[in-house]
Amino acid sequence: MIEFEKFKLENGLTVLFHKDITTPMAVVNTLYDVGARDENEDKTGFAHLFEHLMFGGSINIPDFDAPLQNAGGENNAFTSNDITNYYDVLPANNLETALWLESDRMLSLAFTPKSLEVQRSVVIEEFKQRYLNQPYGDVWLELRPLAYTKHPYKWATIGKELKHIEDATMEDVKAFFNKYYIPSNAILCVAGNFELDYVKNVVEKWYGSIPSAIKPPRILPVEPEQESYREKTIERDVPTNAFYYTFKMPERRDPAYYIADVLSDALGREKSSRLFVSLKKEKQIVSNISAYITGSLDHGLLVISGKLNQGKTFEELDVALWNVLNEMKQNAISDEELDRLMIKIRTEKAFSEQGLLNRAMNLCSFELLGDANGINEEKEIYDAIEPNHIQEMAKSILIKTNCSLLKVKATKDGK
Amino acid sequence: MVNRKIQPLLTPIDNIDFIEPLVYDITKEVKLFFMKEVPNETCRIDLYFDAGNIRSEKGIPSFVNALLLSGTKELTATQISNQIDALGGFLDSGLSAENAVFSLYCLRENVLKLMQFIVHSMDNVMFHEGEVAELLADKKQSFLTNMEKVSYICQREFQQKLFNSSEIYSKVANESYYENVTQHELKKFFHDHYQNGLTKVVVVGDLAQDEIDDLIDTVGKWAKIGETTFERTIKNLPGVFHIDKPNAVQTAIRVGKILFNKKHEDYNDFLVLNTIFGDYFGSRLMANIREDKGYTYGIGSMVAEYNNIGYFLIATEVGKEVKEATITEIQNEINRLKTELVEPEELALVKNYLLGQLLKSADGPYSMTDLFLSAEAQGLDLEFYNKAIHDLNAITPERIKELAVKYLNWDEMSVVSAG
Repeated sequence: MIEFEKFKLENGLTVLFHKDITTPMAVVNTLYDVGARDENEDKTGFAHLFEHLMFGGSINIPDFDAPLQNAGGENNAFTSNDITNYYDVLPANNLETALWLESDRMLSLAFTPKSLEVQRSVVIEEFKQRYLNQPYGDVWLELRPLAYTKHPYKWATIGKELKHIEDATMEDVKAFFNKYYIPSNAILCVAGNFELDYVKNVVEKWYGSIPSAIKPPRILPVEPEQESYREKTIERDVPTNAFYYTFKMPERRDPAYYIADVLSDALGREKSSRLFVSLKKEKQIVSNISAYITGSLDHGLLVISGKLNQGKTFEELDVALWNVLNEMKQNAISDEELDRLMIKIRTEKAFSEQGLLNRAMNLCSFELLGDANGINEEKEIYDAIEPNHIQEMAKSILIKTNCSLLKVKATKDGK
Repeated sequence: MVNRKIQPLLTPIDNIDFIEPLVYDITKEVKLFFMKEVPNETCRIDLYFDAGNIRSEKGIPSFVNALLLSGTKELTATQISNQIDALGGFLDSGLSAENAVFSLYCLRENVLKLMQFIVHSMDNVMFHEGEVAELLADKKQSFLTNMEKVSYICQREFQQKLFNSSEIYSKVANESYYENVTQHELKKFFHDHYQNGLTKVVVVGDLAQDEIDDLIDTVGKWAKIGETTFERTIKNLPGVFHIDKPNAVQTAIRVGKILFNKKHEDYNDFLVLNTIFGDYFGSRLMANIREDKGYTYGIGSMVAEYNNIGYFLIATEVGKEVKEATITEIQNEINRLKTELVEPEELALVKNYLLGQLLKSADGPYSMTDLFLSAEAQGLDLEFYNKAIHDLNAITPERIKELAVKYLNWDEMSVVSAG
C-alpha cells in the first residue's frame, strides 16, 4: 500500500504528497499532461524539443541545473507520446530549492534565442545517435505510420523528420508554453520525510502565485478501426532480418488493458513464454523474440518483435507465429501458467515500489488516469484476471485484420 | 511576496549513516555479506565467481556465463526457465574482465527454493551440443549487429589500446570466437571457475539466520580455495587511432589512459577533478560541447575501477563533421584545468553535489550494499567513505590544478575514434 495525500491549489495545480520516513532524500516529480500526440502534424518532435528548453533558464533563474546541484541534487526528464515528466532528487533538507526551480519554470521561461539554437542542435544529434546511427534504430519511425493512419501516435516522440526540429521558431516555443505549461495541466508529487502541513505551506509559497489558466481541451483525431492487414518491408544495411508484428489493443483506462498486458507476457516476456519456447527453442526459427505492450494512454499496441536465424525465412516465421497465436485463441491457458505470469508481475511490482522516485512518478501517472490511488488498486485488477479473459482478449486482438507487420530485410545477410 | 531571484537557504549535509552488512566466513577467503534491513518482501542474492573474461584467451567465459542454466541430464533449458518463473525469480548476470556475477531477484518467500533449484541446475549443467550451437549463433549475430555501431567499434578498439601491455586484458571479441568451441573447454572452465571459483556471496533481504545458514550450505561447496590475484600494472598505448565506418552520421570518440583505483592516495581528490571536468550534467565538457556548441547529445568522463588498477575515460558521440572540433575542445578544457584555478563557487557546487550523491548512494539497503561492495572489492571498508567526505571538505583549487598537471597529459592518452 502506497499512502499519499492529495490537495489542489487555487490555480488548479494538483499536488500529491507521499511520506517516507526511512529516507534522507526527497523527490519532486512534475508531470505535464502534454506529449507528442498533442503536436501538429507539420511540427512534430516539439514536445520533446520543448523538454530540452525547460533547462535553458526560467524567468527569474538563469540556470536550472547549477542551483539544484549546489543543493546536492540531480534531475532529469523524459517525453513520451502521452506525457512530459520532470523530476528532481535531492537531500530532503533542501526540498525548497527544487520547488523554487520547478515553480519558476512553470511561471515562465527565459526564452533566450541561444537556448533554442543550441537545444535544436542537441536534439538533432540525439535524433542521429538514437534513431539514425544505430542498426534498426529507425524501426519505430517506420512502424508508427504503418500501425496508425490518423491518430498522432503515427509519429515518434523524437519527431517525423529532422527538418521539423530545424524549423522550430521562438513563436512556436512560446505558444506551446502558454498553452500547456500551466498549473491546471500539471500534477506535482512531493515525496520524502515531511509533514503534510509543511508540504502544503512550501508548495503554496512557491506555486500559489502562478496565474491560473484553463486546461487545454484535447481533441485528437480518432484512429479508425483497422479493417485489413498491413505489411511493409524495408531494406537496411544490417546483418540480420528482423520483424515487428503489432496489434491494436485497449486504451490505458480500460480494465481490459491489463488483460492485454498479461496476454503479452504469456506470449513473449520470459524464456518460458510461448513464442520463445516454440519459435526459438523448439523450431529454431528466431534468435530472439519477445512480446510487450507500448503502454500508451490511447489505443496502444501489443508488439511481437525479434530477429530471424540465418537461413530462415519470413514465411516460415509467419506460419509458426500464427500457430502460436491461434493456439492462444483456441484453448484457455492453464491455471499453472497464469500463476507463473502473476507471480512475476507481483515480484516486479514489489521491486519497482522500492524506489522513492518510482513511487512519486507512478502516483502522478495514476493521478493523470483519474486517481492516484489506482497504484494501490492494480493488484486487485490483476488478481481478477482469469484464463478465459486472456483467451477472449486473444480472440479479439490477435487477428490478421488487426495486425501490421514491418519486416527489416538485411542487405548484409549471409556475408 | 516571495523573492524568486534568491535561492532558498541551503542546509549542508553534516552526516551520512553508512550501514555495514553482516559478514560470514564461508571459508577463510570467501565471505558472505548480509544486509538484513530491508523493509519489504524483496530480496537479492549475488554470487561472485572468479570467472571473468581474463580467465581465458577465447570467448569461453562469456559462453559459460550464458549457459549456466542451459540444461542438465534431467531438465531442459525450458524446464529450468519454467521452474524459475513459477517461483517469480528474475535473473541477471554480469561479466567483466575480472569477475562474473550471477544475481537473483525475488520475493523472500521463494528465495531458498529458488537458490536450491538454481544451484542444482548449474551444478549439473551438461553443455548440451544443441544449446551451445544455439548460443554461439545468437552471440555471433549480436556481435555482427554491434559491429554496426560506432560506439561499439570505438570501445572495442579503445580497450585494445588502453590495456595494450596485457594480452589478456586487451582481448576483444572477433568473429572467429564463435567457431570451434568444444564442450570440453566449456566443462573445464565451468569446473575450474564456477564449481571451484565462488569468491563472494551477497544477500540483501530480511532473511532469518537459518535461511542464511541454508544458503551457505547450498553454495559453500563452490568456494574458491586460495587467493585470487589480478594484474597490478598495465600500460596504455598513447597515440591517435581511427577506425573508418563509411556512411556513419556520427563519430564515436574515446580518450583515456590507465590510472588508479580507490586504493591510491590521489583517488578522492582526482574524483573531484573528474566531476568538474566531465562527470555531472553541469560539467565543463557538457557546458562547452553540448550546452554551448550543441555538438553532441552527451559527453562525459569517468574513472573505471578494477581490483588493482583503474582507468580514466572521456566518451562521446558527435556529428561527424565536428569530430576534430570536439577533440580540440576536450584539449582546451584539459588545458584550462592545468593552467587556471577553479573558481571557489564552482568547487563549492561540485562538493555539494558530490555529498548529495553520496547521501543518495547510501540511501536504502540496495544502494547501501552496492556502495559497500564498491569499496570491499578493492580491499577497503566503509571508513573509505568517511575519509572521502573529509578529503572533499579539505580540497582546494590549487590541489585540483596540481592533479590536472600530474595526470591529464594529452601525450599519455589513447585517443580513439570510429565513424
